[in-house]
Amino acid sequence: MTIVRTPDPPVAAEAAVRVRPARRRRKSQPEAFAFLTPWLLGAVALTVGPMVVSLYLSFTDYDMFTAPGWVGFGNFTHMFTDDDRYLQSVKVTLVYVLVSVPLKLTVSLLVAMLLNTRRGANGFYRAAFYAPSLLGASVAAALVWRALFMGGGPVNEVLAFFGWHTPSWVDDPRFSLASIVLLGVWQFGAPMVIFLAGLKQVPAELHEAAAIDGAGAFRRFRHITLPMLSPVIFFNLVMEAIHAFQAFTPAFVIGGGRGGPADADLFYTLYLFEVGFQDFRMGYASAMAWVLLAVIAIVTAIVFRTAKLWVFYDDAEERG
Amino acid sequence: MGRTTGRGTGRGAAALAVVVPLLLTGVAACGSGSGAGDGDVTITFVWWGSDGRANLTKKAVELFQRKNPKIKVQTSFSAYAAYWEKLATQTAGGKPPDVLNVDTRYLAEYGGRGVLADLNQGAGKAISLADVNPELAATGVYQGKRYAVPWAQNTPAMIYDPAAFTAAGADPAQGLTWQQYAEATRKVSAAGGFSARGTTDFGILDTALEVWLRQQGKQFYTPAGKLGFTADDLRRYWQLASGFRDGKGASPADVTASYNTSPEQSPLGKKLTSSEFAYDNLLPAYQKANGKPLNVAPYPTDKPGDTGQYRRPSMFLAVSARSAQQEAGAKLVDFLVNDAEVGKIVGTDRGLAPNLKVRAQLAGSATGNDKTLYDFEAALEPKLGAAPPVPPKGAGAIQKLLQRTYEEVAFGRMSVDDAVSRFMTEAEKGLS
Repeated sequence: MTIVRTPDPPVAAEAAVRVRPARRRRKSQPEAFAFLTPWLLGAVALTVGPMVVSLYLSFTDYDMFTAPGWVGFGNFTHMFTDDDRYLQSVKVTLVYVLVSVPLKLTVSLLVAMLLNTRRGANGFYRAAFYAPSLLGASVAAALVWRALFMGGGPVNEVLAFFGWHTPSWVDDPRFSLASIVLLGVWQFGAPMVIFLAGLKQVPAELHEAAAIDGAGAFRRFRHITLPMLSPVIFFNLVMEAIHAFQAFTPAFVIGGGRGGPADADLFYTLYLFEVGFQDFRMGYASAMAWVLLAVIAIVTAIVFRTAKLWVFYDDAEERG
Repeated sequence: MGRTTGRGTGRGAAALAVVVPLLLTGVAACGSGSGAGDGDVTITFVWWGSDGRANLTKKAVELFQRKNPKIKVQTSFSAYAAYWEKLATQTAGGKPPDVLNVDTRYLAEYGGRGVLADLNQGAGKAISLADVNPELAATGVYQGKRYAVPWAQNTPAMIYDPAAFTAAGADPAQGLTWQQYAEATRKVSAAGGFSARGTTDFGILDTALEVWLRQQGKQFYTPAGKLGFTADDLRRYWQLASGFRDGKGASPADVTASYNTSPEQSPLGKKLTSSEFAYDNLLPAYQKANGKPLNVAPYPTDKPGDTGQYRRPSMFLAVSARSAQQEAGAKLVDFLVNDAEVGKIVGTDRGLAPNLKVRAQLAGSATGNDKTLYDFEAALEPKLGAAPPVPPKGAGAIQKLLQRTYEEVAFGRMSVDDAVSRFMTEAEKGLS
């Protein structure tokens, strides 16, 4: 975040501070806090408080029924040294993030480019492509997906018609994760809409100028569209990566609520849920949640660090 | 950056965040009896099950309220898995329901951790078990304390399609050896062109393993809460099951993996197999899902007369140790267990009535599936053994472990030997 901020807001803020007398600024504070109170109460009671408690619980053996006992870093060391299922859940989640995020971004960008024209039916197609992502993490979408990909389901039948006989996709460890990745990619509407907005911002005159200079469609995409779009790609990448790390509902529903066949769909959050609410190891689940937080923070930080190598911000002076 | 990741965690830790506010607010609410005016009390009562069961249960509760006008009962129910998640959250929040359903797999978990009241003492003494089979009644006792009373009795059994098996020349109702069962299932599969199989692969089922172990004179868990069988026992069981699968008598791996505890979602319910090991009281539910007339039969056995089956508490009723209304709760429990009219209302939905006098009355007038079940258990009664000891804490996780390690075998990703050693290692870790 420190890298990508534009210089303008802090400057403007400083200017405002200098113009206004200090006395008046202080006077406006009570009202501000009064208006903030509902949010503050909510934030403290529902977010900060539980987070502090869960941080404490992550160092205990809390089982939800009896008082938590301090175990130090026991939960954390157990995770990495003595829990094969934990490592399996890490593996499944990493595969999901690494496969589904790039696929989803690619598909959403391609579709956004297809729809970024002035043809009549585009409004319909935009709505149609966006609709699946409105369903988001819904149970209904996952149930339909399970019905589509299960043994004897439509996908099976169509593939069999073309001579490829597959077992039940959702119940076979070779295919079940792939079916969840497909569901994730299918819900590409949100990044697509953002890409569409980004594409609208690419100045047409740049493309025209490049075309006159003899650049083909691919060159223009590579040297004009992609750089101009890089802040949007960056935003979508960060958001989708965070989402993917937290995927839960599709795996829960498609994997039969237990991590799928032979733990093939044991997503991180699914295992966390199982450990906490089914096995009553809430301390361990808390520890897992904090590790997930740390990993998401680190991954996001890395993406932000590398951003300066490939994200280009259009300078206001140049265009204005 | 703090902001971006902060939003991320909010959701990541959402599961935990649910519990904590409950913990904060619930503790204060605990202990303040609700609706105490005029001697009227309100108690909460929760159970798991389907809509059909809900209608029956609500009728029984209405009857209780008519006979006890000073007690108001608020009921709620959920499906089995969701039930336990909700109950755990409520309990952690310090506000468990006054009267609740408990499963034998979770009795140690809740009873052993002080959530359930000891019904041998205080208000619980009002609950009469005089007319309940003593062996069945004993199943609610864990470490010397009576944490629950059985609400119904069922027994592990085979549900099967009689037409398919008769065509294959076998009659499971008369009792089969495992060898005969293997041949019959193969013939059933072949008769249907292998589109459906003779049985659902029972390698994943902890109940079937338990019954098979009892036929060998072993048990699933020892009274001390350890595994009651050895790696060699499990190896022989999985080899038996794998023999069925390899001979195409049992379901293929992907069908087996789709198994879900509800009859509607299981291979037999989806017409992908012609028999499945379950509990006898699930016969009507299986029949409804499958569509064909089904029947119930004892387990195959190589020891004539010893099927390994037992009188199982299909579910328990318990009273919360933290309830301020234990007397009213105990009254409700006693009513549900012993009232003859309740027996008539709830029928065999959960299994047979626990009260033997009520059961005898109902058996006389039973029809249809009810009659099938009464006749089935009446014929078995002299052969039924005592129920195993209450499974230890962590038994719920062992069942899932059995399922996923056997799936590795069914999908050919692991040999039986490797899967057995993985199961034994992880199970011992989970039970320690």
